[in-house]
Amino acid sequence: MKRRDFVKNMSLSSLTIPFVFNNFKYEAIANDLFFVPKMAEDRVLILIRLNGGNDGLNTVIPLDQYENLLIQRPNIIAPESSILTLNPAVGLHPVMTGMKNMFEDGKLSIIQNVGYPEQNRSHFRSMDIWTSGMMDISATRGWLGRSMDNAYPNFPDDYPNTDYPDPFAISMGYEVSATCQGLMANFSHTVTNPFDSVNLGTASGLNDGTYYGSHMEYLSTIIAQTNAYGAQVNDAANAGSTLSSLYDNNNPLAVQLRYIAQMISGGLKTKVYILNINGFDTHDSQVASTSTITGKHADLLKTLSDAIAAFQNDLMLLGLESRVAGMTFSEFGRQIASNASLGTDHGDAAPLFLFGGCSNTSIYGANPTITNEIESQAGIPMAIDFRDIYASVLKDWFLVDPTEIQTMFEHSITYHNVLGACNLSVAETEKDKNTSLVYPNPAGNNATLRVQTNDEWTKITLYDLQGRQIKTCFDGVLHPQMHHIPIDLSDLAVGNYRIQIWKKSGNESIQIQKVK
Amino acid sequence: MKPGEEVVVPVSLSMDPYAGPWNKEQAAHLLRRTIFGPTFQQITSAVSAGMNATVAQILTIPVLDPPLTVSANDGIAPIGSTWVNSVYPASNPGASENSRRESLAAWAMIRINQQSLSIREKMCLFWQNHFAAEFTFDSRATYNYHKLINTHALGNFKQFVKDIAIDPCMLVFLNGATNNVFSPNENFARELLELYTVGKGPQIAPGDYTTFKEEDVLAGAKIMTGWRIQDFNSTTVNNTSSFFHAQIHDTTTKNLSEHFGNATVANADENEYANFIDIIFQQPAVATFICRKIYRYFVNYDLTPTVEDTIVAVLAETFINSNYEILPVVEQLLKSDHFYDIALRGTIIKNPIEYMFSIFNATHSVPNYSLGINYQLYFNAYALCTTIGMSYFQPPSVGGWTAYYQAPSFTRLWANSSYIKLRFDFASWVTLAGGISVGTSKWGVNHLAFLNGLSNPSSAPDVINDIVTVFCPKGLSATNILTLKYILTNGLPDFEWTIQYNDYAVDPNNTTVSEPVKTRVALVLDRLFKLPEFQTI
Repeated sequence: MKRRDFVKNMSLSSLTIPFVFNNFKYEAIANDLFFVPKMAEDRVLILIRLNGGNDGLNTVIPLDQYENLLIQRPNIIAPESSILTLNPAVGLHPVMTGMKNMFEDGKLSIIQNVGYPEQNRSHFRSMDIWTSGMMDISATRGWLGRSMDNAYPNFPDDYPNTDYPDPFAISMGYEVSATCQGLMANFSHTVTNPFDSVNLGTASGLNDGTYYGSHMEYLSTIIAQTNAYGAQVNDAANAGSTLSSLYDNNNPLAVQLRYIAQMISGGLKTKVYILNINGFDTHDSQVASTSTITGKHADLLKTLSDAIAAFQNDLMLLGLESRVAGMTFSEFGRQIASNASLGTDHGDAAPLFLFGGCSNTSIYGANPTITNEIESQAGIPMAIDFRDIYASVLKDWFLVDPTEIQTMFEHSITYHNVLGACNLSVAETEKDKNTSLVYPNPAGNNATLRVQTNDEWTKITLYDLQGRQIKTCFDGVLHPQMHHIPIDLSDLAVGNYRIQIWKKSGNESIQIQKVK
Repeated sequence: MKPGEEVVVPVSLSMDPYAGPWNKEQAAHLLRRTIFGPTFQQITSAVSAGMNATVAQILTIPVLDPPLTVSANDGIAPIGSTWVNSVYPASNPGASENSRRESLAAWAMIRINQQSLSIREKMCLFWQNHFAAEFTFDSRATYNYHKLINTHALGNFKQFVKDIAIDPCMLVFLNGATNNVFSPNENFARELLELYTVGKGPQIAPGDYTTFKEEDVLAGAKIMTGWRIQDFNSTTVNNTSSFFHAQIHDTTTKNLSEHFGNATVANADENEYANFIDIIFQQPAVATFICRKIYRYFVNYDLTPTVEDTIVAVLAETFINSNYEILPVVEQLLKSDHFYDIALRGTIIKNPIEYMFSIFNATHSVPNYSLGINYQLYFNAYALCTTIGMSYFQPPSVGGWTAYYQAPSFTRLWANSSYIKLRFDFASWVTLAGGISVGTSKWGVNHLAFLNGLSNPSSAPDVINDIVTVFCPKGLSATNILTLKYILTNGLPDFEWTIQYNDYAVDPNNTTVSEPVKTRVALVLDRLFKLPEFQTI
């Protein structure tokens, strides 16, 4: 008898029951709808988890409710004059200067009063709801994991491979992110420091000279070698760069975001990065007894704001702003009324931040209403379902088909226009595919030129409206297909310009407006 | 061990009974080496019972339940009953045999997953490795073979070898069934000497391997002639058997070499093989050879001259003095001062079955569906073990699995780069993603049962300490312990875990409070199962 005729080498997936996957992937979707597979493929989402339940009312402060806030939380509220105003009705905590500047630069959006029906105030349960994007207690997969399952069925069998050499998601730290839990595996790869050649994060490996120590060394080595993602991450980090001087080495979130900038600029194809910042469970000493604008929560918000601002600055300098978007989330907000310990207890809805070169600058949703008398333990009622924000991110950012998105959620989705600033409008999408177009237009520091070429020499030049050549954006031979060529506008003054496309199959000229 | 690497050798070379501290560390060490995946309760119970009582319990061999029929394809044995004494159907016996073979494969996993506090399954795997016959073409014979292994697991080794020599499965495996006076087949005789009894020493002259010579192989082949098998795949006889056919037996007198005292073996027909084996067992090399293997399996791969001269020599003496009873040897080893030496903890890298069942068993994870679903889940587990490098019933060669003899790597062979990835995929699968599936029935880690079995589940530091006790032979670094606690508490202060656990404890059937607890434990275990420290016993 042949030794192996009984049980052929079965892969993990082949043992599960046949599973009906929907038959398309990100690429296919993007191809159909946007003709821009590379764009969605290159897009990166940064998720920052504010762990513990962020006090939204102390973060994004409804100035028009200040009088009643003063009644409900007199011992913790920041003085009105210290609040950074975004508009007459909305302000940011005084320490959040970095994010205030981003808002003014058009790189920050605020979604107000985000939560879900029948808020669960357990950290653990609520975080599970936020990471799965499902209210269903039996949900086992994460919201991104479900999407990735559709795009990459059978993961982790035969991954990484030549088409997908990089981790689909990276969770900074030691724990895989529940947002990326798929059917058979978690799509996120943990990285503590991408410059460690062994960045699986499991390296123990101290050989204490015993048989056991020798095994530990051996196993650590083999694990590192096995960890093909680790080498990719390492190579990318080493190849990448960082240009911003705003990062503070004592700000752990900033350090991690800098690592991410280095991985992205080094060419890592990872789509999602998840970061975590602890300490938002501010039951006591949320503010210092001496000043309501200092203390634990102020420190956390400063850490967050400084880190994100430095990262955005880096992305701008690296020419990556249109490829990267970020979002914060927290398991719940806190109660409206403060407690006697200079803190706040578990509450309900809270604001959520979106940032990046493609965010639709706005404050989305009305301020919460604070009354002078409130029920005991009242939180902020939910106005926008976080699952709709997730769905909107999948649609606007990863260009997933809305029909497909609906299958990933249990509720009927309402889309919000949150990250679509860099997408082609429907009208543009419908345009003749042989016509070149530039998007977004108007643009900030980055635009993309969509151009169809034959197998031909192509030169793309930028002129001002006086006809002076500013620079050459591309010069070379392009294969016959639709191309998406980045146009760097960061060194240009605000104003109108003209992009000239020289090619044998027909020259074209497109006007573009640079805005701040 | 790398070539030339110096390692700290055991301090204690004493085979005297261990009289040091008896805490969770020692008890867990004993259990990790003798059962698959001890639970926290088994460890604490062993601490309370003490070493002697625990070893006594471990050395009892419970009754072995036979595999059951779960498929109508069997054609004869009703579903839910055993097929081990059933004929084959006249129509489609192949389908019947396939269903029986799948049942056997599942049965091996059931035995390991539903083990009692007994060394039985570890011993049976040891003997499967030693007498490495694979599935034969009648599963009743395969079953009988494994039943025989079970019967002699701690029994008399000499009798064991005699029974194996004429076992139908072995007669097929090493061609004994076609060995006859007209055309002697040396296969079994050679392995009987080289792999099963005296072992092969250094070659000291042409055809002379110190412990036996080529002429002994030839003589042995002649001695073993005449044995036949019958009723394989029979539609009328309910079991297989072997029988002696005198007409094809070589009746000449056989001469053995000086390694066997130049003994002569006169014709004794069906008793002749037993006489031959009695002669083999007069050579003390049998005891040394087997005790080395036992040492490597239960203690450490590194048979230094000192270990040979002290530990192995003492065990071999015990073996011989007891007329080759296995139990006293294993008992002496498991109670010895040497066995508990700290330098011998974590010296064995888990084989795939140990890896899988150190996860399932230690976490109280037993599938609890219908008989048919359970068998399918166990069969899938069997296939998974095959995928990650170890297939029960199918050792890779007559010498067993290379990890048990191949220097210098030994058990490191279980953990090459592709196997490690598969192990990690498996770990994620059973902790975070539901686990092995049949339809909607899933077999994953039972996180809550595991957690509730720990000493103080509401305390995050205690939970992590207990987890380390259960899974890590030499503990974990402070950093790793903090990391695991961080994952358990989701980065929150410890009291938040206490609140969450207590909410669950008072309302355990409320998934709204239980699921978050489960998720945290799952994330901790997922990480732990990928640590180097978890890979050893």
